[in-house]
Amino acid sequence: MEKKNKNSKKPTYSKFSQQELPAWKPILSPGWVIATFLTIGAVFIPIGLLALAASDSVVEIIDRYDDGCVPDDFSKNAQSFIQNPNTKKTCIRTLKVPKKMVAPIFVYYELENFYQNHRRYVKSRSDKQLRDPDDEDETKSCYPEANTADDKPIVPCGLIAWSLFNDTYKLSTKNKAITIDKKGIAWKSDIKAKFGSDVYPKNFQKGKLIGGAKLDEKKPLSEQEDLIVWMRTAALPRFRKLYGKINTDIEAHETIKVEVENNYNTYKFSGRKKLVLSTTTWIGGKNDFVGVVYVSLGAICIFMAVNFILLYVFRPRRLGDPSYLSWNRNPIG
Amino acid sequence: MSNLHPQQRPDTFQNSSSQRSISSNSWRASVDFGSKGVRHGSRSGNDSEGFSMSRREINDDDARLVYVNDPLKTNEMFEFAGNSIRTGKYSVITFLPRNLFEQFHRVAYMYFLIIAVLNQLPQLAVFGRGASILPLASVLFVTAVKDAYEDWRRHKSDKIENNRMASVLVNDRFELKKWKDIQVGEVVKISADETIPCDIVLLSTSDPTGVAYVQTINLDGESNLKTRYAKQETLSRIPEKDIISGLIKCEKPNRNIYGFQANMEIDGKRVSLGPSNIILRGCVIKNTDWAVGVAVYAGRETKAMLNNSGAPSKRSRLETHMNQEIMLLSFFLVTLCVVVSACAGVWLRRHQDELDLMPFYRRKDYSEGKVENYNYYGLGMEIFFSFLMSVIVFQIMIPISLYISMELVRVGQAYFMIRDDRMFDASSNTRFQCRALNINEDLGQIKYVFSDKTGTLTENKMEFQFASIAGVDYSGEKTEVYVEQGGYNIQVDGQVWRPKVKVQVDPKLLQLSKTLNDTKSSKEIYDFFLALAACNTIVPIVVNSSNPNEKLIDYQGESPDEQALVYAAAAYGFMLIERTSGHIVIDIQGERQRFNVLGMHEFDSDRKRMSVILGYPDSTVKVFVKGADTSMFKIIDESLNLDVVRATEAHLHSYSSVGLRTLVVGMRALSVSEFDTWQTSYEIASTALMGRAGLLRKVAINLENNLTLLGASAIEDRLQKGVPEAIESLRKANMKVWVLTGDKQETAISIGYSSRLLTSKMSQIVINNNSKMSCKKSLEDALITCKKLIDVTSATDDDASSVALIIDGTSLVYILDTELEEQLFELASKCAVVLCCRVAPLQKAGIVALIKNRTDDMTLAIGDGANDVSMIQMADVGVGISGQEGRQAVMASDFAMGQFRFLVPLLLVHGHWNYQRMAYMILYNFYRNALFVLVLFWYVLYTGFTLTTAITEWSSVLYSIIYTAVPTIVIGILDKDLSRKSLMAYPQLYGSGQRKESYNLKLFWVTMVDTLWQSVVAFFIPVLAYWKSDIDSSSLGDLWTLAVVFMVNIHLAMDVIRWTWLSHASIWGSIIATCICVIIIDAIPVLPGYWAIFILGSSGLFWICLFGILVASMIPRFVVKMFMQHCKPCDIQIAREAEKFRNSMEVTRSGEIEMHR
Repeated sequence: MEKKNKNSKKPTYSKFSQQELPAWKPILSPGWVIATFLTIGAVFIPIGLLALAASDSVVEIIDRYDDGCVPDDFSKNAQSFIQNPNTKKTCIRTLKVPKKMVAPIFVYYELENFYQNHRRYVKSRSDKQLRDPDDEDETKSCYPEANTADDKPIVPCGLIAWSLFNDTYKLSTKNKAITIDKKGIAWKSDIKAKFGSDVYPKNFQKGKLIGGAKLDEKKPLSEQEDLIVWMRTAALPRFRKLYGKINTDIEAHETIKVEVENNYNTYKFSGRKKLVLSTTTWIGGKNDFVGVVYVSLGAICIFMAVNFILLYVFRPRRLGDPSYLSWNRNPIG
Repeated sequence: MSNLHPQQRPDTFQNSSSQRSISSNSWRASVDFGSKGVRHGSRSGNDSEGFSMSRREINDDDARLVYVNDPLKTNEMFEFAGNSIRTGKYSVITFLPRNLFEQFHRVAYMYFLIIAVLNQLPQLAVFGRGASILPLASVLFVTAVKDAYEDWRRHKSDKIENNRMASVLVNDRFELKKWKDIQVGEVVKISADETIPCDIVLLSTSDPTGVAYVQTINLDGESNLKTRYAKQETLSRIPEKDIISGLIKCEKPNRNIYGFQANMEIDGKRVSLGPSNIILRGCVIKNTDWAVGVAVYAGRETKAMLNNSGAPSKRSRLETHMNQEIMLLSFFLVTLCVVVSACAGVWLRRHQDELDLMPFYRRKDYSEGKVENYNYYGLGMEIFFSFLMSVIVFQIMIPISLYISMELVRVGQAYFMIRDDRMFDASSNTRFQCRALNINEDLGQIKYVFSDKTGTLTENKMEFQFASIAGVDYSGEKTEVYVEQGGYNIQVDGQVWRPKVKVQVDPKLLQLSKTLNDTKSSKEIYDFFLALAACNTIVPIVVNSSNPNEKLIDYQGESPDEQALVYAAAAYGFMLIERTSGHIVIDIQGERQRFNVLGMHEFDSDRKRMSVILGYPDSTVKVFVKGADTSMFKIIDESLNLDVVRATEAHLHSYSSVGLRTLVVGMRALSVSEFDTWQTSYEIASTALMGRAGLLRKVAINLENNLTLLGASAIEDRLQKGVPEAIESLRKANMKVWVLTGDKQETAISIGYSSRLLTSKMSQIVINNNSKMSCKKSLEDALITCKKLIDVTSATDDDASSVALIIDGTSLVYILDTELEEQLFELASKCAVVLCCRVAPLQKAGIVALIKNRTDDMTLAIGDGANDVSMIQMADVGVGISGQEGRQAVMASDFAMGQFRFLVPLLLVHGHWNYQRMAYMILYNFYRNALFVLVLFWYVLYTGFTLTTAITEWSSVLYSIIYTAVPTIVIGILDKDLSRKSLMAYPQLYGSGQRKESYNLKLFWVTMVDTLWQSVVAFFIPVLAYWKSDIDSSSLGDLWTLAVVFMVNIHLAMDVIRWTWLSHASIWGSIIATCICVIIIDAIPVLPGYWAIFILGSSGLFWICLFGILVASMIPRFVVKMFMQHCKPCDIQIAREAEKFRNSMEVTRSGEIEMHR
């Protein structure tokens, strides 16, 4: 019977076809379950605590200035204030430094209620045009900020570039100015590959409606770091963007005077503007959330480990105990 | 209804053309009781001369007129198909449109197409052109490549077929012609071992009696030789010299390979033609030097090609359930889309006044001088567009790819089933066959098994055991006489001829049969054995043996019973050595005698007997009849010898009670006038074209009466190997095994005992009635007894409480299709075993329908013969045994195999695995796609409801094509929850499938809740961690992409039970492939996410988030799983632990102990 002749259709034996490939068959026995929980607990709690400590060490100063920087007589109608080119936009804010801030200190502006991830907005750009001067006519995706009224392509085109943030900040302590370094705030990869060093702004902000900052037509796009930062659209409607870096330490309890040039119109969609000064650590800015999550996850795991230990002690079950089989528990019906 | 002839059961089902979608009502309608005609040596059992044509006259409209040897005239009126065949579906030009057309017949592809088209509208363009078309294109491409390859292979084989050569009569000379050029009407000559190029009517053969032997293995898989006959009127003509011309009038091409009806006008005579005169394309001529015939059907109109249709398609139970859940998912999808579009509407309304100038909306376009709305179509339209766009974005909520994955997984499962060497039958050299590809997982949920007996439980290899001759029982000690004497043999031309199969003989009877004299008892023995040797359709074929001085006589025929009887007669010295359509030669104790076969009435299901009219050398004429006891005793003249009849009846009872198949033989001498009357009516009937079968039956009934009882034979049909063990396993697996047989009650019960279906502890309820009233009464009584029995014994022993119901076909006539059905169902569902005896094929289907229509349980029918076809098609799963009785059962089945015992590995092992794998895969696919959709959905809530995706469009598209597609398919094919050994040792483990433990609505909801939790974790941990930070959307999108892909793969990894290298490769490979894809996408400078992954990967927060997500998302699942595993372990879990922590011997032993408690 086992003899193989030519005509036999007997399937040729292989471990694969007989589904007998060698395999690792792990079973999570009580020991493994407890060990897993304890390990996770032991790893996560320290990481969580480290993250909390890091977050705690971050010094962060936040100042919301959008409503404060509107003169009282315009407080009912901030729109007309911001749209009027003749009003004085400069506004002085003072900040207290609670703890010593060690360089580098990052200066951010924070916008709220600004949907940089809105479908109409994210699509309104032309990455080709930004890279290559020959592609300056690639403005199809940029409507309604694609071409000027006399049909010349706008460089950089699109709503994103058009709405470039244009508030400026001047910081000083005790009349000594703090220099904000605006170089190196954009991703090096963007400067190198996404924004051409031979692409210059053209026809930008020349339309009826000015959306935001104007660009220096002498500087190529790859050097317009504010634009590059702005063009990396934020993921969420509340976001920060890097404005610059301060490379000197600021002592505790010092008072910083901020001269805000309040140009950017967020009043029409009740968006908020904030200035943020912050140091960073390995987990970024001030954020307790990650630490809390890790500590609670660790705690839950330890708790579960204890529970399972109790379960195994008080309700033990021998592995593979046949008395648990359904046909042994209740007779065949 | 009473006992059918044990072997010769009518084929009453229109086998080939009947579709699988038989509803409970239509199965009756699709049945046509075939009627019989005269045939010689062809399929006696499945006689079916024209399943559908039999009752109709071939009138000229329905007929095909073939002018013999005149293809021009034949083809001038009608364009008959030429002999070239085309199985290929496409040509180079038609491939693209036709293949696409066929592919888009599938709903899944239409869905893809509609979504892709929607996305092309500029207002809705969520994805770019390329990304939106990729999923559809990839699926279409893969399928097209597969189809093209298959078609190329078909074209290749067509080409080979069409260019084969055959010799055809052209201008009175045989010339070689390509197959494709043969036309209907041409005369074709075929030599030995050549394949027939088209369906031909035999004209003459090398054999002077016009016999041709053909092998039909290509057509129906049967390996025994069949005989075909040239008609007397043509067989002596040699076409090259003696021009044949005539007109054949035959039925239109049909797919019935066992039927053919025609007549031939030749030399002014009208000759009838039947299935024994036609040889079908694909058959091979054997043992015949040459055969000449005229082509009547060619090319695609040949019966072989007409039967070339695909396997039936059914939908599995799991898939039906799955489709309900998919409806739920569509409902979720619509809900998500409604939520998004409603929120978008509210948002737009609230910001109505701000929209014009909002930097991120800018409704107004100022650039062109005049101010107008830009890409804004009013609130209503914007809401509508939002809805459509959300359908596009959330499209994979409906896991269309699941259908494709399921097909692939089923192909893999089928591969393993076919390749399982434990389901290979060495004796018939057959592998397991998977004919239906979409119900693999149903095999894991069977609750009822309906089994045929003969050929299914038994081997259908008949062995002659006992004889009762003229009231004397010869069932004494058997000696293996052939060991001493070499059995009966004869000398022919100095050679020894002996029967191929040796039979154990009764020495007393052997002695008596050898010493024939003029005593009465000696004459009776003579007549009895002559009847056995003559009254059949067996053809003796002399074959060479290893010994040059010895030749073996091989009795070829389709009925194993008849073979057994002829071999028995030969052993007792009545050796059939020649049969032609006109005469037979029997060597009786060394003396050759020639008998003219004056006529033959073949077996049919109404008469349940057959008869042959023999003209003796001394020109006396006798009719010999053999048949089932019920039909025979009616026509036996009891007055002749009442004692003999009584004694024979007693013997028959004792034979059948030990499980033997019995036949009764009778005889009558015909007077000259009787013979003349018969002959005239027989001639008329056998050439009649209208109602030939009915006429013949009438002639037969007129002839078959007042018989003298010669005796009875008992044939043993042994149980197949492993049947009792298999039945025990199936019953332990909580399947109800019903046996449906055409045999007598006693035979059925005895087989029931020997197959361990019945045990002595069981109480038997027998229902055996002749009227509706008595049926009703016995059903009511039975129900009461049954309840009592169960009540009394329920507390004590398992086995004793089981009740066996034995019911016969006559009672079923009164029960099925009446209001009593309900009671029968109630009774039957209480019984552990049900035996139905003497059931007709249609009743088998009726019984299956009884269960199928009333319960939700899965039914499986297994059988081997044509009479099981209706049952096989009716059941949820039909299994065919490719055994002795032809291929009709196999052709109608979903799965086919060689032995009944393979049912155990098929169901308990493969069925279980298939079910577990498929069930898990479906749930996992729901989870996988819903998770991704939910993550996209949460983000939409933070984008002003504008359906932006942070995840790049390419990742969205590749998610179900590359990132997560492979592991689910690999695990779906390869994962095994338990080893074969445990599954076979504990048949009860099969219960998990019957209880739908692996896929049910509860599990679906649990999965969805888990999905919701995981999506919340995956979305909100990064959102809160990066809240108020300068994260850009591409980076966050990359984090989500990686998190989701890691999650679904880790989720899968947690559920994998057996880690083979393939599982490792697919799961970890997918994760790596995803990382590579994300890196590649982020290395393309024109995409907005350029370099994001590298910046992200260098920050600590990213890794912290990723690991936090993985742990937080899996914890609830892990806790619940571990808790359930410990406190409420399922059987599979326990068995798996037992497998791992004890050695295998212990498992088996403890298993046995546990089972018997």
